[in-house]
Amino acid sequence: MSDARLRRVQKEIKDCAKDKTSNISIDMIDESPFHLIGAFPGPPDTPYEGGYYEIDIVIPDAYPFQPVKMKFITKVYHPNVSSASGAICLDILKDAWSPVLTLKSTLISLQSLLCEPVPNDPQDAEVAKHYLADRNSFNATAKHWAQAYAQAPAHKKKNEPGKVATDAELAGLSEENVVGFTDMGFSRDQVISILKKLNYRGNNVNPQSYNAVLEELLK
Amino acid sequence: MSSDGDNDDFLYEDEYDDGFDQDDIDSTSEPDVYDAMSPAIEEAPQKKPYDVSWKVKTLQEIIDMQNKEIMKVQSLLEVPASSAAILLRHYVWNSEKLQEQFWNDPAQALEEAGLSPPSSPTTHTSTQPTGLFECPICCMEYDYSSTYSMGCEHRFCKDCWMEYLTGKIKGEGESAKIQCMESGCKRIVREEVIDDLVTHDISKRYHNLLNAAFVADSPTLRWCPHPNCEYIIECSQAPTRMLNQLVPTVECKCGHDLCFGCGYSASHRPVLCRIVKLWEKKCADDSETANWLQANTKECSKCQSTIEKNGGCNHMTCKKCKWEFCWVCMGPWSEHGTSWYQCNRYDEKSGIDARDTQAKSRASLERYLHYFNRWANHEHSAKLDAEFYQKTEKKMEQMQNSGNLSWIEVQFAKQAVDAVIKARITLKWSYCMAFYLKRNNMTELFEDNQRDLERAVENLGYLLEQNISDTDSIAKLRQDITNQAAYVQKRHDILMDDTLRGYLERRWEFTVDT
Repeated sequence: MSDARLRRVQKEIKDCAKDKTSNISIDMIDESPFHLIGAFPGPPDTPYEGGYYEIDIVIPDAYPFQPVKMKFITKVYHPNVSSASGAICLDILKDAWSPVLTLKSTLISLQSLLCEPVPNDPQDAEVAKHYLADRNSFNATAKHWAQAYAQAPAHKKKNEPGKVATDAELAGLSEENVVGFTDMGFSRDQVISILKKLNYRGNNVNPQSYNAVLEELLK
Repeated sequence: MSSDGDNDDFLYEDEYDDGFDQDDIDSTSEPDVYDAMSPAIEEAPQKKPYDVSWKVKTLQEIIDMQNKEIMKVQSLLEVPASSAAILLRHYVWNSEKLQEQFWNDPAQALEEAGLSPPSSPTTHTSTQPTGLFECPICCMEYDYSSTYSMGCEHRFCKDCWMEYLTGKIKGEGESAKIQCMESGCKRIVREEVIDDLVTHDISKRYHNLLNAAFVADSPTLRWCPHPNCEYIIECSQAPTRMLNQLVPTVECKCGHDLCFGCGYSASHRPVLCRIVKLWEKKCADDSETANWLQANTKECSKCQSTIEKNGGCNHMTCKKCKWEFCWVCMGPWSEHGTSWYQCNRYDEKSGIDARDTQAKSRASLERYLHYFNRWANHEHSAKLDAEFYQKTEKKMEQMQNSGNLSWIEVQFAKQAVDAVIKARITLKWSYCMAFYLKRNNMTELFEDNQRDLERAVENLGYLLEQNISDTDSIAKLRQDITNQAAYVQKRHDILMDDTLRGYLERRWEFTVDT
């Protein structure tokens, strides 16, 4: 059946190249058609807008009867994508896979996953907590990541063009909160990692969690 | 499961009606081979309130059970047999629930089970200009005769169907829940379709998986866990909720015991399934090894190698670094002068603290090891006894040939060894039980019974090791062994009976939740 696999993948790559409307690209890395790079623009009206996302695609031996293996190469701040490894939590990449699905349709599904996160089935628990705790702050962080890692143009109004996101912004934290602790003499990296872990943002900024952060810092 | 309709034929043997009448637990007696040995225990086999009755089924009987149920549903709901099968599997063979749902809303019941009602006959809309069909999966063109679609009209070539179904069955072990290849289509592929589309081997495997799923889904069925045994045990008297007061040991036709409650591949009576699980986990746990190391070893005070002292005096010489030190105070040996067999430095404060922590971990470990060693010892001995029997069997044959003993007269040795092995297995588990029992009067009675059985077993073991080739003393030895074996059997039954009854009377208190 490997002939069928090769025929099908080649056809998929060809069809995708022909289709100019979907804005999805699938390219070969080397001469093997079974290890590819897919890419699509961040969906409009999301924090990912303007970013360009690359996906590592591995075609398994039993394709299309086994799901294709995909992960983000571009770093993305999203509850269903690991912020460290790019691993994706999506049903059609696992048990909901169907041989009828194609590389293109799967990439489109990833694109719509960026529109509609599923925070109750997270791949990255810290990001999902952030998403549920404070949507505005989450969106801002996702946008900072898009600008820092996915070449999204910095937003016209709020930030001056070309401004690089700070480490606090990339972690989804307010500068004010970080400085509050670094002024006590704790190192900036330590403060950011602990505030991130304890989801110290939005409604979680209160005297109780303040104490929890202090305890963690003093450990 | 109500596959049988009537409960009368659930019993493994004919029931004896001797007045035992329990609400939940009905029973037959285990066949007792020892009855023939001794007139002392020649009673009619009794039904015990803690025994369960069971039936050993063949694979064919399991298939018949399913077919019977399918036929019933087929005629009741007026659906094809394969639809009835899919419906039953969806409702986990609960035909009452299936009927209720079906009569409530037939269309919904069918759809939920993956059987949307048959739509209009296939319309060949996706025909290529060539009159051929292009399979959306392998992108090849086929004549319609080489393609297939179910009622959902999702058409694919037969090669892709075969590849897909083979992968599901062989690769993922799926059976009852294989759906259409179309994304999001929940239609279940019927049995006869699968048989038609895959090779004979795969179809066979598919049916095996269906049967395995049927047995696994049924609370009253369990596969015999012994290798190469294909029988299935049916028992309706040991539901999970009863397992805190019942140890449902059953015997398969292959000759092996198993526990119907947890699938343990031997009798673990008199211990409850849950306790057995805890015990096995504890024994397998590496932390116990670590505990042992902590309590039984010390580190060389110079090179930190771990040392276990296995005898000899306190003057230690590290094998690795040749450092000489005192095992008691861990100080250098040079300071000990000539008092080689005692350490007068023991009470110095420096050593006391270190030894205290060691003592604490040692106490809990020693308790565990006490029970574990006895548990393991009986298991080991039971194996040795079985080997020992292999050797004596030859001697028995010789006795039979040379002496004037008949075949039946030399069987006493086999029966005695059987009694020892059986008692040792029970003793083994009794130590697991004792480890988890709370210290109280009931536990003391339990340990009295345990001690009596242990003594009887050791005595019989001693007798069995006597040289039985001497024809003159053989008659006396035979008598002794027969008597002692009967005594072992009696003590065994007392321990087992009392313990198993104790569950029903809620006499046992454990240090863990059951």
